[in-house]
Amino acid sequence: MAIDAPCPPEVLASVGDLELVARIVVEGLVSGLHRSPFHGYSAEFSQYRRYRPGDDLKYVDWKLLARTDRVYTKQFRETTNMAASFVVDASTSMDFPPGSIAAMTKFRYGVIIAAALAHVVSGQGDAVGLVAGNVVLPARGGRQHLRRLLASLASIAPAGAWDGLDVVRGAADRLSRRGLLIVVSDFYDDEERMTTELRRAQRMGHEVVLFQVLTRDEIELPYSRDLEFADLESGARLAVNAASARRDYRDAVADFLERMRSRALAEGFHYTLVVTDTAPERALRSFLLSRQA
Amino acid sequence: MIWLNPVALVAFVAIAAPILIHILAQRRAERFVFPTLRFLRPTRLTSIRRHVLEDRLLLAVRSAIVAAAVAAVAGPVIVTPARRDAWNRRIVRAVVVDARVTASDASRASAAREPRAYRAADFHVTTLVDGLRRATDWLGQAPPARRELLIVAPLTIGSLSPSDLAAVPADVGIAFERPTSLPTLRTIRWGSVRSSGGTIDRQVRLDGVATSVIDLPTRDRTAHTAALPIEVVASERANALVDAALTAVLARRVWSPPPGRRAQFFVSDDDTASLARSIAVTAALTPWMAEAIARMIRDTDLQQAAARTLEVLGDDRLPKGPWRTVAMSAAGGPLVVAGASGDRLLVVSAASPSSAVMPILIRALANAMAETSDLTQAEVLGIPDEQLNAWSRPASAPAQPRLDALDIDDRRWLWVVVLALLGAEAWLRRSARGRSTVVDVGETVRVA
Repeated sequence: MAIDAPCPPEVLASVGDLELVARIVVEGLVSGLHRSPFHGYSAEFSQYRRYRPGDDLKYVDWKLLARTDRVYTKQFRETTNMAASFVVDASTSMDFPPGSIAAMTKFRYGVIIAAALAHVVSGQGDAVGLVAGNVVLPARGGRQHLRRLLASLASIAPAGAWDGLDVVRGAADRLSRRGLLIVVSDFYDDEERMTTELRRAQRMGHEVVLFQVLTRDEIELPYSRDLEFADLESGARLAVNAASARRDYRDAVADFLERMRSRALAEGFHYTLVVTDTAPERALRSFLLSRQA
Repeated sequence: MIWLNPVALVAFVAIAAPILIHILAQRRAERFVFPTLRFLRPTRLTSIRRHVLEDRLLLAVRSAIVAAAVAAVAGPVIVTPARRDAWNRRIVRAVVVDARVTASDASRASAAREPRAYRAADFHVTTLVDGLRRATDWLGQAPPARRELLIVAPLTIGSLSPSDLAAVPADVGIAFERPTSLPTLRTIRWGSVRSSGGTIDRQVRLDGVATSVIDLPTRDRTAHTAALPIEVVASERANALVDAALTAVLARRVWSPPPGRRAQFFVSDDDTASLARSIAVTAALTPWMAEAIARMIRDTDLQQAAARTLEVLGDDRLPKGPWRTVAMSAAGGPLVVAGASGDRLLVVSAASPSSAVMPILIRALANAMAETSDLTQAEVLGIPDEQLNAWSRPASAPAQPRLDALDIDDRRWLWVVVLALLGAEAWLRRSARGRSTVVDVGETVRVA
């Protein structure tokens, strides 16, 4: 799929096969990217094997041939030197807008982002892990693991509240060496404490990538009548006139987003704000290009 | 202003509907799930703020739409001076034409009448009184205009009286046209009478103010002799008395019934009581029988004589069937009843054969069965022109028009107003929506 024609979010939302969705997104994503956005790829020598016709001559060990007059080829074992752990917020606040199958909820959008990036990372031979809802998958490489991760992602339904601090801490601790911690959430948490946890993960040597997923309605509050807003997570209610509340609401959201951006910049996190009405390829492409720069 | 359907004005209370909707529609805050409430600040709800109404212009337009629609349904008629002048200029005319006037004479008389009628109707009648009633009814339903009653008739004396004209409403003009002059002399056959000597033809000669009655021997060979076509059923004791009464009646002459009319006269007494009860009576539906019963009931001599007797047709003597009481006795019960028995008029009486009621009853029965000419149709004297001029009057200006007679109303203008207001309401709503859209765009840019 060409970059100029990204797959619309509502189409991606209606495709049930997450692996297919991830491939659609990645195919539109990698065209035009000339080198890997993630570093750490390597191959580790494993053993020698007798040469058989058809083997690539570049793997022939010419020194061994000179010493022993026998033709052996070198075999390598793919290894990773980077592990990426995806932390996906599966709280009910991500299940917005609710009740519509065709609509792209924040959670579905976040899952697609995570699946596409996992596809890219795993495709490079690096390990990918997942922490979302009750699912905890350690970082491993290989296609089988990637498929298991995608299947796990597809099976998760947003429910309940999200203890982001514990989840981030656990994910960072599970990364045994220098890794990549990718957090996909709306970040409606305690900002200070979340920053502290992310800073801790960074000090452990992990690179922290934040995807803040929001809907356009959350940013603009485009309603105009009396509404009794009910918090998706806590169930708390507040009746307001949306038209009257819109100005203050937009100011508060703009301040919140600015704080997120400036803190991420100050702490060295890679922060990306994605709005669910934009194609996932566009959001990921701008993210990956910024990493290449 | 006149309202054709004033009951619809009750619907003016519907004006409260848009106001209530405007207020109440804001009271309900729809529940709406949202990811977080952390950025929302409490505001006063619209329903609270709208104790002072917003969008007053829109509200006023909506109320005006309802008001105009209700007024249109109520059917207003605005009586302007111009409209009243127009009503005054036109005239509706009812033309009562006597049956003796030829159609050409009637149309000539009607066409010559000025001014020309806005609407007109002809009523061809045999009696002017009936024509006046029908014409007055028609004029009552005519659209607003001056109303005129034109009577085209020979206008003989007795054909019209002041009491007949008094029934015409005062604002209806009355005019008379006598298209032909009346003959000075006219002789007509009045009928035939029975006497002891036989049947006699009776003629009437109308010569100016003089009236002559001429009796001539009948030239009808089929005419019966003196015997009346009345079959008497009585006991042996009563037969002689009844015959004597018949003889007395014929001596005084009675009108002769036409051929085919027959009656059975049943004199009920103790001897014939069981026979009277066994008679099967049917309803007198034949016109001449019904007319004969009505004439006997109207016969004052018979009624007065009956009121002086005490005999009553008790239950044991009353014939079976739908009989009509012809005369009541002083005892409060029926003395004479009548009905039909086959092709004969059946009369049952409890009056004693020797009483004075008997010959009066026989005479009344014989005269009731007869058929005589209406002499008023042959009258040669007309109502004097001076009298007609006194009765004539011009049509007055129309009074308050009857609602069901109005041929115009002003609903269409109100419906036009409703359509215009609906357009204005749509424009106001679009304008309000446009204003809110402009605000949204500006704030979106600022947030981004």
